Amino acid sequence: MTAKKLGPYQTLKAEGTYKIGADKPTIAFNRIGKRGVRRYDGYAKASGKALYTRDVLLPGMLYSKVLASPFAHAKILRLDTRQAEAYPGVRTVLRFDDPAIHGRELTGSIAGPTRMAPQSAGWAMLPVKTILGDEAIFEGQMVGVAVCADSEQIAAEALKRVKIEWEQRPILLDQEEALQPEAPILIPGADSNQIIDERELTTKGDVEQGFQEAEQIVEFTARRHAHLWAGAELPCVIANWSGDKLEMWVHEQQPYLSKLILSEQLNIPMNKIQTHSLYQGCSFGERCNPSNWHQNGINVLAVLLARKAGRPVKLVLNRAETFYGESGDVMASHFKVGAKQDGTITAVQMKSVFANYMCTTGVEHLIDNTRISHLRCEGITAHVNKPPAWWCRCEQLPNVFCQTLIFDHVADALGLDPTQVALRNDGCEGHDPSYLSEFKRRHGFPDRDSLRECIEAGRKAIGWEEKWHAPGTRRLPNGRMHGMAFTWSHDWDDTRGTGSAAVMIQNDGSVSIIAQHSDVGVNPWTAYMQIVADELGVPYEDIEINPFDLNVGFALMSPDGSCNLGSNGFVVKKAAQKAKQMLLDLASEKFDRPADALDVKESVVFEKARPENRMPLKEVVKMATPMLNAVGIWTEPPVLAWAWHTHGLWGQALETGRPRMCRQANFIEIEVDTETGEVFVTKVVNVNDVGQAISPETVEGQMYGGTYMGLGRALTEEMVWDPSTGVLLNRNLLDYKYATLLDYPEAECIYLETGLGHGPYGSTGIGENTATMIPGLLGPAVYNAIGQRVDDFPITPHKVLKALGKIKE
Amino acid sequence: MKEGSKATPLNLCPYCTAAFDTFEELKTHVVSVHKTEPLPKPAGWIALTVNGQVHELKVEPEWTLYQVIHDRLGLMGVKMFCDRGACGSCTVIMDGRPILACMSLAIECDGKHIQTAEGIAEAKHPLVESYIKHHTMQCGYCTPGFITTAKALLDRNPDPTVEEVMEALGGNLCRCGTYPQHPKAVLEAAQTLREEGSK
Ligand code: FES
Ligand code: FES
Repeated sequence: MTAKKLGPYQTLKAEGTYKIGADKPTIAFNRIGKRGVRRYDGYAKASGKALYTRDVLLPGMLYSKVLASPFAHAKILRLDTRQAEAYPGVRTVLRFDDPAIHGRELTGSIAGPTRMAPQSAGWAMLPVKTILGDEAIFEGQMVGVAVCADSEQIAAEALKRVKIEWEQRPILLDQEEALQPEAPILIPGADSNQIIDERELTTKGDVEQGFQEAEQIVEFTARRHAHLWAGAELPCVIANWSGDKLEMWVHEQQPYLSKLILSEQLNIPMNKIQTHSLYQGCSFGERCNPSNWHQNGINVLAVLLARKAGRPVKLVLNRAETFYGESGDVMASHFKVGAKQDGTITAVQMKSVFANYMCTTGVEHLIDNTRISHLRCEGITAHVNKPPAWWCRCEQLPNVFCQTLIFDHVADALGLDPTQVALRNDGCEGHDPSYLSEFKRRHGFPDRDSLRECIEAGRKAIGWEEKWHAPGTRRLPNGRMHGMAFTWSHDWDDTRGTGSAAVMIQNDGSVSIIAQHSDVGVNPWTAYMQIVADELGVPYEDIEINPFDLNVGFALMSPDGSCNLGSNGFVVKKAAQKAKQMLLDLASEKFDRPADALDVKESVVFEKARPENRMPLKEVVKMATPMLNAVGIWTEPPVLAWAWHTHGLWGQALETGRPRMCRQANFIEIEVDTETGEVFVTKVVNVNDVGQAISPETVEGQMYGGTYMGLGRALTEEMVWDPSTGVLLNRNLLDYKYATLLDYPEAECIYLETGLGHGPYGSTGIGENTATMIPGLLGPAVYNAIGQRVDDFPITPHKVLKALGKIKE
Repeated sequence: MKEGSKATPLNLCPYCTAAFDTFEELKTHVVSVHKTEPLPKPAGWIALTVNGQVHELKVEPEWTLYQVIHDRLGLMGVKMFCDRGACGSCTVIMDGRPILACMSLAIECDGKHIQTAEGIAEAKHPLVESYIKHHTMQCGYCTPGFITTAKALLDRNPDPTVEEVMEALGGNLCRCGTYPQHPKAVLEAAQTLREEGSK
């Protein structure tokens, strides 16, 4: 039977859909995987010339600011904006009751059904999820009125002149208290403060049976308090109208999705919106939730204000205003774990109460990378008067927090080396590693034991053999207690994402990658250029990308889920391969040889059988141009090819039968001062199996970079609210403390290349791993040092001293 | 602002009340007719030498140096990160010292000499190339602040130790965690500078 011939659309789709199996290179690597490739963005960023959204200034531009609620729960009864409107330099004021904004909701049909939806991300208390409403459910929420003025200072002054009569309402700040029967109900019309989530209960096997099989039962509790992404560039947006055309500058990870939502909300045709996304001063997921106030909300406000004012409007947030969300791992958890004497975990039961939003339930990594057969995970979410919670590098925080603590408690109870307990339980969806071996063989992957390799490398680097000891047993000559810990998990790539890009060879032989893409600092463009260079046979230096304009029609997968490279690497690789085919097709005319008899290397096209029969690439393409010319001397169509790729869907990595095969291991060594309770980190070793590194320096950058964020989250980063008023007390980067250069030593970063990733050439993503793995690791490390558990994060000196019995409260 | 200066919107001569179209004409008049020094600049006017170029401009009393350099002069290398005094991203070199542009009032910077990352790059300072080589940037938002701070260090200490580099850069925040690369990049640039100097 002959296969049905596919039309152009179906062909593209068939070519672009990921097929399970090892992606083996068909070319020799010249730039891929090599050190010393000059970073694409290096000069722009080092010279101060890289433009970020915050930098954009347009002639006649106005500045807009939005009122922040001073109360944690309150409703506006009366709003008097007359003084603000009369303040010199104020150009326009948008009140919540203005018909242009009144009742407009945050969500769009795209965002609605997803987990980004306001319903599921901590807004349950608001009956209507308006962009600009008259009700605040946390202190600092945008509410009531936006003003637009000649300068930021004037806008801020004008806001001070807005007179508001508030009705204050009861507040709750603790998620467990919120579920007590006597707690006031915050959600209108509801009979409890619990937010319904269909992921509340995950079960696998039968935990009771698992507990019976166990020889030891371990029970413990743990807490994680709120922290924040706190990215470098403050959120902002610029909107400018010209007739019915809208031009936007956005600081966002997902500008295409955001354009779609904006178009739906304000009924602006998508083809009339021209979006620029410039360099982005980090993001970590902060700028990737198009359905939130501070992203799509501010876009809508800026667009409406620009229309009203008839001038470009830049809506800017200051640092205090960026504390508008919290991490998705605000949780209080209870664990019961059954294990056999040899370290085999027979059952895990956990129950967690989350605040505002349950990003992940805590059990997903145990499913994805262990052979534990009996799991029961209950996750309840309660609404409290704190900002909405959502993912921030990354939504897996609850999962690895739980995995790290469970494994360490088990190893300790059994008196086993935690690295052995990891190997004993490694697996996939309840199966032992033989299941993975079988899968690897069937799909052309090498049958390597990633976890074992990671652990071996890490143990050696940190000196585990010599230094690891029983808890609370090693005092150092400097008087401090020495502690060590280890944790592990699978790789981070969500193996999802969709993108498109074109590769075009210009008349002079230089090559352009054509596609919008948001850069949040992971050096993606260098990697794409390395891939195109090697696939096309063109020097890296001859490749260029201009990713700042969404109107080029192609858009690469946004940088989230650590699958930036996994998806986009395939996109650019395929586009380059297709462009090469086109080029050889064109060359076949000039060489009078079939295309498959030719090849390209270092920008020279040659006949494979007779390499001396050669022509510089630029000679081949010099007549090929996309432009018309009146004289008509250019007579050949452009060498341009585009490709599309899709790589699974969110959360479908399991359903589509793609087990995770790469592993990672993280090791730490600390000292605890038992007089002050301070924790000093002396060594960190991160080992990641990345399958195949495209840009080694970039891989390492994510590994050491994430270490600082992880350590900050473990030890010092915490949002602190005043318990009586619900006012956030540390809205600045002096009091919200993240790591400086002086706080921690450089991590030792080791990457392994087993080819076990689902990305191009067997690679896998690395963007979020370390920052997510490290925080939980400090619990076991502190325990190993002082012999007392402090599973309450961040682990502050105060808590350490309390655990040591040196202070009471 | 200079002591005793007054707003003189019409450019009136304070000695004979003659009116002039421009401030420059008034200055010439005062020097030639009244044989005195030219007048102090009117209130709100400052002169800044930025990356070797002189800018005379009128500023509002509440404007920060950041606003003037970034928004008025268009030098985008001064970056607003923490917003006020916590991160070092807005660092510029003023009369040889690294200072925070977000914490300085422009009106108090009259007559100062300022260097920004753009000026450092235009002058082909080896810091820029060594920063690129060592991947001393991720999102890059903090990078110009680190470069200016490092340049000020090397200006006064051409042969710093690792500890001295870390100490100098200890006040600069980087959320992406590029920290370990900075001492490497700065020390390499210092060596290049010394080698260039000894040629
Ligand atoms: S922006 Fe000036 S110190 Fe942070
Ligand atoms: S490189 Fe992103 S903040 Fe430093």
